[in-house]
Amino acid sequence: MSNRLIKLENFEKVFYTEDVETHALSKISLTINKGEYVSISGPSGCGKSTLLSLLGLLDTNTGGKYQLAEHDVSNISKQQRAKIRNTEIGFIFQSFNLISDLNVEENVELPLTYRNDLNKKQRKEMVKSALLQVDMAHRAKHFPSQLSGGQQQRVAVARAIAGNPSIILADEPTGNLDSKNAAAVMALLDELHAKGATICMVTHDPRSAEQANRNIEILDGHLVSDQVKTTKAA
Amino acid sequence: MIFQDFKYALRLLAKKPGFTALTTLVMAAGIGLSLYMFSFFNTILFKDLDFKDGESLVMLSASHNGSISSDKLNLLDYQEIKKSIKGLSEFTGYSNTNVTMSARDGARRYSAILTLPNFFKITRTQPVLGRSFNANESLFGANKVVVIGYDLWQNLFAGDPEVTEQSLNINGNNHQIIGVMPQGYLFPNTAQMWLPMIEDKTKSTRIDTPSLFGLAHIDTHTSLTEIDQQLAVIMKRIENKYPQTNSATSAYVTTIPGSGAGDGQPVIYTMHIVAVLILALASINVGNLLLSRAVERSKETAIRIALGAPRFRLISQMLWESIIICTLGGVIGLLIVAWGLEVSGPITQTFFINPTAFWWKFAIDGYTIKLFFTILIITIVVTGLLPAWKNSGNDFNSVLRDGTRGALGKKAGRLNKLLVISEIFISMTILIAASVMIYAAHQQSNLDIGADTDNILTARVLLADKQYDDKNKQVQFAKTLGSRLENSPGIGEVMIATALPGDFSTEEKLILQGKEYSKDNNISYPKANYISIMPDALQKLGVDLKSGRYFNSSDNGLDKNTALVTQEFAHQHFKDSNAIGQRFRVAQTDSEQMTWITIVGIVENTIQGNREGRALPSVFRPLTQSPRQQLTIAMRMKSNINVATSTLRKTLQSIDPLLPSYKIETYEQSNERFTAPIKFISSLTALFALAAVILAASGIYGVMSNTINQRTQEIGIKRALGADEKTITKEFLKAGAKQLLWGGIPGIIAGCAMGYAMSQLFGTSSDSLIIISVTIISIIGSVVMLATYLPTQKALEMEPSDALHHE
Repeated sequence: MSNRLIKLENFEKVFYTEDVETHALSKISLTINKGEYVSISGPSGCGKSTLLSLLGLLDTNTGGKYQLAEHDVSNISKQQRAKIRNTEIGFIFQSFNLISDLNVEENVELPLTYRNDLNKKQRKEMVKSALLQVDMAHRAKHFPSQLSGGQQQRVAVARAIAGNPSIILADEPTGNLDSKNAAAVMALLDELHAKGATICMVTHDPRSAEQANRNIEILDGHLVSDQVKTTKAA
Repeated sequence: MIFQDFKYALRLLAKKPGFTALTTLVMAAGIGLSLYMFSFFNTILFKDLDFKDGESLVMLSASHNGSISSDKLNLLDYQEIKKSIKGLSEFTGYSNTNVTMSARDGARRYSAILTLPNFFKITRTQPVLGRSFNANESLFGANKVVVIGYDLWQNLFAGDPEVTEQSLNINGNNHQIIGVMPQGYLFPNTAQMWLPMIEDKTKSTRIDTPSLFGLAHIDTHTSLTEIDQQLAVIMKRIENKYPQTNSATSAYVTTIPGSGAGDGQPVIYTMHIVAVLILALASINVGNLLLSRAVERSKETAIRIALGAPRFRLISQMLWESIIICTLGGVIGLLIVAWGLEVSGPITQTFFINPTAFWWKFAIDGYTIKLFFTILIITIVVTGLLPAWKNSGNDFNSVLRDGTRGALGKKAGRLNKLLVISEIFISMTILIAASVMIYAAHQQSNLDIGADTDNILTARVLLADKQYDDKNKQVQFAKTLGSRLENSPGIGEVMIATALPGDFSTEEKLILQGKEYSKDNNISYPKANYISIMPDALQKLGVDLKSGRYFNSSDNGLDKNTALVTQEFAHQHFKDSNAIGQRFRVAQTDSEQMTWITIVGIVENTIQGNREGRALPSVFRPLTQSPRQQLTIAMRMKSNINVATSTLRKTLQSIDPLLPSYKIETYEQSNERFTAPIKFISSLTALFALAAVILAASGIYGVMSNTINQRTQEIGIKRALGADEKTITKEFLKAGAKQLLWGGIPGIIAGCAMGYAMSQLFGTSSDSLIIISVTIISIIGSVVMLATYLPTQKALEMEPSDALHHE
């Protein structure tokens, strides 16, 4: 059985605005294996967030091939994409993106409610387990507005891992946090990785990138560097 | 500083002319429609009369079985009330009558007022010439006198200052003119002639004493409700004492203009509620548009706050926008009202063949202006203060930091929901109530009155007491007129009756042979329309015979007693037997006479006056058996209306030169007059309903799309977490349906309550009310669902990554 989780071949994204054609990503080819902790970095506007959106099936590529867990997902229907996002991918956003009308527990449960194969009891157990992992079980009934930024991001991490996804995609997960909270979130990701989670993280913070065991660098839509570290920074 | 804010608001509005035009027009429609409705009803029903102490002048009328329909009080009841009641003073009374006035150039029919002494004094008005009545002139056998109106004085006597030296021939008797009332004085309604009500001491029972409307001044500290309570007690006492005449009879007090409302009060209340709701709907829509704009500008506001702008300045800036929009819309609305009121005069005149009441002067008056400013201030506060307050109180720091929340804020979400629920509630209420009225108008205008009205000219004559006191003379007159007219060129069939199908007719209480009635009161006798008609007229009018026979020559003769009844009469009283051959008599409680009348035929149902589904069944008697002085002539025209009118006048003159014809109009016009008021009110309501549909649909769509637009990020998050389009659409539709229920259920209750009140008045069936409600629910439901579905689909068209970063 192959260890490969993601395979991109000549992957492209072009934005068309009136007469202007913007190549956000050009001919990207890369592979991400199960259990890897990948950081994608580069200057602002280089296309790293676009790449993460495409990896997360939040957007559609305009060229190339995308294989996720041996399946070609380049040209699948919107409904299939939604299903893959729900079961295979966990997202962590820079701005947390918790829903303010839902409490912590409900936020974490939200992706699980879109699954038909889980009953309420199972969902509750998965939510509890996820919240315990991020140490937020005691805040289950709180609303996002009652939490600090760091706490909100921990809830977002719990939401991302609650459904046991194949990969966690994190877009600048510490961008909106102070250094203390940022370190806590990074430690959490480390812990998840240590438990076997595959993580792909966009960051322009070198300290965060150091945490990953593989660093990919993007510049003007091109993959310019892909370095695998043999040992992780302490 | 304020001027700076004003200039800034103007600049902002000028930058978005589409937005400015839309909000101004919405406000113009809201203010215009509601202001018109209030002004219209104030003019006809609530205005104080333009006399000294006019505001305290009240009218006493009788009610039967709780039905308020401006009936006259028995004179003895009036006297009892006058003696017992507290809080009213300066009593007087009057009764309307029709008189024939003969002059050198022919005879004319006039509406006149029979008055008790003190009549002119109660309005604090003195004649401009001569004097008013003295107490002796009301006594039986006194010299006959008359006070005339200013217009009559000018038209008939060319303003002759010596007019009090002259007399008028009224109903065949000379009446000395003793005074001329001032110009514009038409009290109590459209009077041009006032005669003393003669006190006949020989008539002293509740059966033969005349009836009248009471007038009095109400004390400053007494309310109409208190007077009503006293009247109920007094009338109950009289009822207990005289059950035969006063069963189920009570009295009530109103202002003079307010007496016109009668039992149509549910309609008036409904129209006022509808007017308020339309204003609320327009205000909510404009408020929501301004709120959306305020949200759009939240970043700018945040920058201003960061730069140290005090909150009141921010509120002032935003409030200026709503002041400008509401004022501009209000002025346009006021212009629409001015035009609307101007055209209301001629329109309302078509409801009546006589002039409309003297206080019906439709124009912008002090009341309208006062109300305009009140409405303006309210709309400015409603539309402006909420967005201004809300936006100026935002967490400016988080706005400046670009926000970190994906979903619509809880408070904003609640506010938007409240807006949608309010719009659903208001539109549902207005539309159900309006639809009932429109349906009732449609039903009434298309009602089969039971006769063929095509190409028929109608006219009335009133045979004077003096020349036609003998019943034989009355029969002879009808026969001669009918035959002469039918032999005239240009005239086809002629039908003569006391009332044609469609007209109001006399009602009588009847005693059916073999049935038992309570001796303690008079309410157990069945009532029916009682119409005298020339024997061949029903057939000529196309009133179908259902069984038995029509009248024929064998029915002629004052000593004969036959009748035709309508199907409804037969059904009500002879359900299990054949009505033909059955006998009844009129329950003449003042007479011992026992004349039994035999039913010889059953004809199709006819409608007499009331088109509201509560019409009484009818009984027809041959005019040759039961003649009357008040007659309606119907002539089928072979040529045009002018020829027929001229032929009628010439023929009447050839029979009786002093007999005027009046109310000359086609049968169709006469019928349309009955439905003209409800058609007018229903057209107004339809206009309101149309405005409600447009405002509600656009408002609901606006708020919904705005709400969903604000939740685009939330949609993006949910999609990122794996929700597919179907799930999100379902979720939003479910939320929309929830709001529909929250607003719709109270809306249905309020709309049905108003609809039910009106259906009781108009006779609309419960089935119709249910069908109307279901239809409106479906329409509003579709609007809400569509207003949810379309913006949701629009948001879903976006890639999730775009939705996540949507601003």
